[in-house]
Amino acid sequence: MVVSGALMGLVYALIAYGFQLTFATSKSINFGQGELVMLSAFFSLSLLDWGMPYWLMIPGGLLFGVALGLVVERTCVRLALEQKSEGWILMTIIFGLLGFSSAENIWGRDDRPFPTSLPTDALQVFGVNITPLEISVAIGVFTVMGLIELFKRKTLLGKAFEAVSADRDAAELMGVSATRTIMLSYGLSGLVAAMAGILISPITTVGPTMASALILKAFSVAVVAGLDSGFGVVLVGIVLGALESLTSFYLGSGWREAPGLVLLILALAIRPNGVFGKATIRKV
Amino acid sequence: MLKRLLLIRGAELIALAILGTIPLTVSNSYALGLLTLLAIYGILLIGLDVTVGYLGQVNLAQAAFLGIGAYTTGLCINLLGWGMPLSLLAAMGITLVIGALLAFPALRLEGPQFALATLSFTALSTTVLNEWESLTQGAQGLSISRPPLFGINLGASGFYWLCLVLMILVWLAMKNLLSSQWGRAFEALRDSPIATDAMGVGTYRHKVAGFAFGSSLGGLAGGLYVLNFQYLQPQVFTYDLMVILLLGVVLGGRKSLWGAFFGASLIVLLPNLLSNRLLFNVISAIGLLVAVAAGVYGLKKKTMKLFQAMAPVVSMGILVAGGLMVENTEDWRKAIFALMLFSVVVGLPEGIMGFASRYLTQLFRIDPPALPAASALDDVLPMQPADGKALLQLRNLKRHFGGVKAVDDVSFTVSSGHIHGLIGPNGSGKSTAVNVISGLYAPTSGEILLHDKALPYGSLFRVARHGVSRTFQNLQLFGELSALDNVMLALKGVYRHPLPMVLLGFARKEEKRAQADALALLDLVGLRDQARTKAKDLTYGSQRFLEIARALACKPQLLILDEPAAGLSHPDAGNLVNIIKRVHQRGITMILIEHHMDVVSELCDTVTVLDGGKIIAEGTAEVVKRDPLVIKAYLGAAEVTAA
Repeated sequence: MVVSGALMGLVYALIAYGFQLTFATSKSINFGQGELVMLSAFFSLSLLDWGMPYWLMIPGGLLFGVALGLVVERTCVRLALEQKSEGWILMTIIFGLLGFSSAENIWGRDDRPFPTSLPTDALQVFGVNITPLEISVAIGVFTVMGLIELFKRKTLLGKAFEAVSADRDAAELMGVSATRTIMLSYGLSGLVAAMAGILISPITTVGPTMASALILKAFSVAVVAGLDSGFGVVLVGIVLGALESLTSFYLGSGWREAPGLVLLILALAIRPNGVFGKATIRKV
Repeated sequence: MLKRLLLIRGAELIALAILGTIPLTVSNSYALGLLTLLAIYGILLIGLDVTVGYLGQVNLAQAAFLGIGAYTTGLCINLLGWGMPLSLLAAMGITLVIGALLAFPALRLEGPQFALATLSFTALSTTVLNEWESLTQGAQGLSISRPPLFGINLGASGFYWLCLVLMILVWLAMKNLLSSQWGRAFEALRDSPIATDAMGVGTYRHKVAGFAFGSSLGGLAGGLYVLNFQYLQPQVFTYDLMVILLLGVVLGGRKSLWGAFFGASLIVLLPNLLSNRLLFNVISAIGLLVAVAAGVYGLKKKTMKLFQAMAPVVSMGILVAGGLMVENTEDWRKAIFALMLFSVVVGLPEGIMGFASRYLTQLFRIDPPALPAASALDDVLPMQPADGKALLQLRNLKRHFGGVKAVDDVSFTVSSGHIHGLIGPNGSGKSTAVNVISGLYAPTSGEILLHDKALPYGSLFRVARHGVSRTFQNLQLFGELSALDNVMLALKGVYRHPLPMVLLGFARKEEKRAQADALALLDLVGLRDQARTKAKDLTYGSQRFLEIARALACKPQLLILDEPAAGLSHPDAGNLVNIIKRVHQRGITMILIEHHMDVVSELCDTVTVLDGGKIIAEGTAEVVKRDPLVIKAYLGAAEVTAA
């Protein structure tokens, strides 16, 4: 039980990782990320309904996520960043509202099952019950995060990404386009959201509200770990996931959401930059 | 003056008269319900605007405070049998306390983290309201019956009048608050939190108080909410409601009471608007036309970028097209709201009322109220005895950043009444030393004594309160405030009324006094004629002088001037020297960081020279100038001087 909770925590970590990607380049995050997860999951489900094979559905869904991420960047974030305002918070919330309402009307308000080709029988690994589905979640999360980290470290484009994260102005002076790098980060963040949607749907079913609880916990993970903490999110995600299973077992499932929120407010009170975050020095 | 009274008060009175008389003329209970809701949401949004508008933070917790206030009132009536006034007060009190408790950790954060923290708080409170079934009856809901008010059983219209009266009181209290030192502090801390702290005003405490006050208005609205519907369910107070509230404030216009009121009317009327198909089509078409007109106008005048002009048109276009295609507009309620908001936020960032009020003030040209005569300078800045005793002592002060020893074992003494120069090449640690003294950084080790007592470490605010005030090398003015307000904000010892008295409007007299005092200081630096000019519109030289006047308003014993002549034109540099001399005559001790040696030679009694974080010379300007170590530090050519 604790293990499956921890595996759910990996999905929180994955979404939180998506926040980190955009926060690194532009100090902004998408408050409608949950809707991105949900819309990508619905879209992938539709791809299956239209008769697309399972293995083609995954890249299709991911591409859809990338496209949505780019739309968010263009419509909601870029103008606010140009004006050096925090207008993107509101704009991405508005985008989420639009996405939610559209999903409700296009795909309906009911939860729908998401088919999977994996067997559902639990396996015994080191005396712990794990379903293959849960293992696939772990594999998927680590693959995506690993590939993106590899991309950031080994390719020229990825180096540009790191450069803009480290010092936007200096990177621009060296001929790196910050605007394009921010686009890239939103695209990647959309991809990560879509991956999270595809991974979690077989477990939770697909519905317009599927991501609203998920996203709150991803926020908690991102803030508790620190928005610039790198792999800190994985650790915090696992701990939070495990904590949640324990609370819902001992206090009842209604309290399931509570530990993440309490943890978040506590972390903010004690370490505002996150457990793994870095403090910034004020300058005048 | 008369025009001002007539237009501003007039508009308020007309609106009030209309709202007050409607129940007399219309007997439709549905309309009355909407009006009651309008008054309740008005209170709620005015409270929300404190954080969203004035503090400039995206606050997603107001729905939670509405819920907490509602449950508090409901439970006070059901379990304790309290009357209406007492249960409403309880709601305000509890939300005030919870708001303050949440604000303490959350307001150390900025921007997205703050939004996230408040969002989590909303989610957490919904969970608690849902799960604490023994108290709240959870998802079943809580029913109450409205108790009589002072023995009178309020009907629907009576209750509406109660809500209206409360909204007017809240409106007046907010006006009092905003025209006081508090309102100025809210504006200032958005422009420059560092300077707000450095002027001894305290960014953090104003933020916390503002947030808690806004939350308690949310609690009041919640109490009225439950009295109105007489039934409660936790699901009402969730994220969805929060988003709609936030959007109401933004759509109506931030930092505006009228904006909050307008936003509240929109929220109340929107569901009705959507149910009538024809009305919806007409309104969306008008919206499209407005967007096109505004876009064309903005592009022609080059005040808008292409995206800013096009995005609202596209979004309203989708709205019109959608309105014709979709079967049931009510299902798309959120999407419609989102599209409308998107257009407003992109095209009219200041909101509808913000735009309207700017346009109207241009049209009517309302003059600001006249200023009082300036106070005598002796009252504002009494002469300080310049006895030459040690005022400030640094003992073995160190400040390291990682491996960089920015200030390394510095000791010197500043004598009372002196101007003490602090010079050195770039990167020699002058600014760091001053930042440590003024409390921006805590020292790594060492002591700072003022009058032989230790200064507080690492807090701009507390150091300022101890009588050390400063200017900034990179200007930290409150750009949106007028020159007068910049100085008034920093004035020490004038504002004595506590917050409740301010809300009740008892602070007007001290406000006049503050204006007079601030004018005297502006006169000292030669800016009296520009008292009403916004700080960001002043010339560069005047901005530097304004910083000095503002620092003097803290009534400092020690004034630190961080490169006041940097970038000044030649005549302005002359003015600066005169200003510093005038301040010197008042007996105020100064530390002057400066690169212009002529300014330093003319003004300073003693000069300390830093290089590489260490003191390399100390003495009068003439002595220091000839010191070979100083020449080497500046020119790096020891051999030449030796030869």
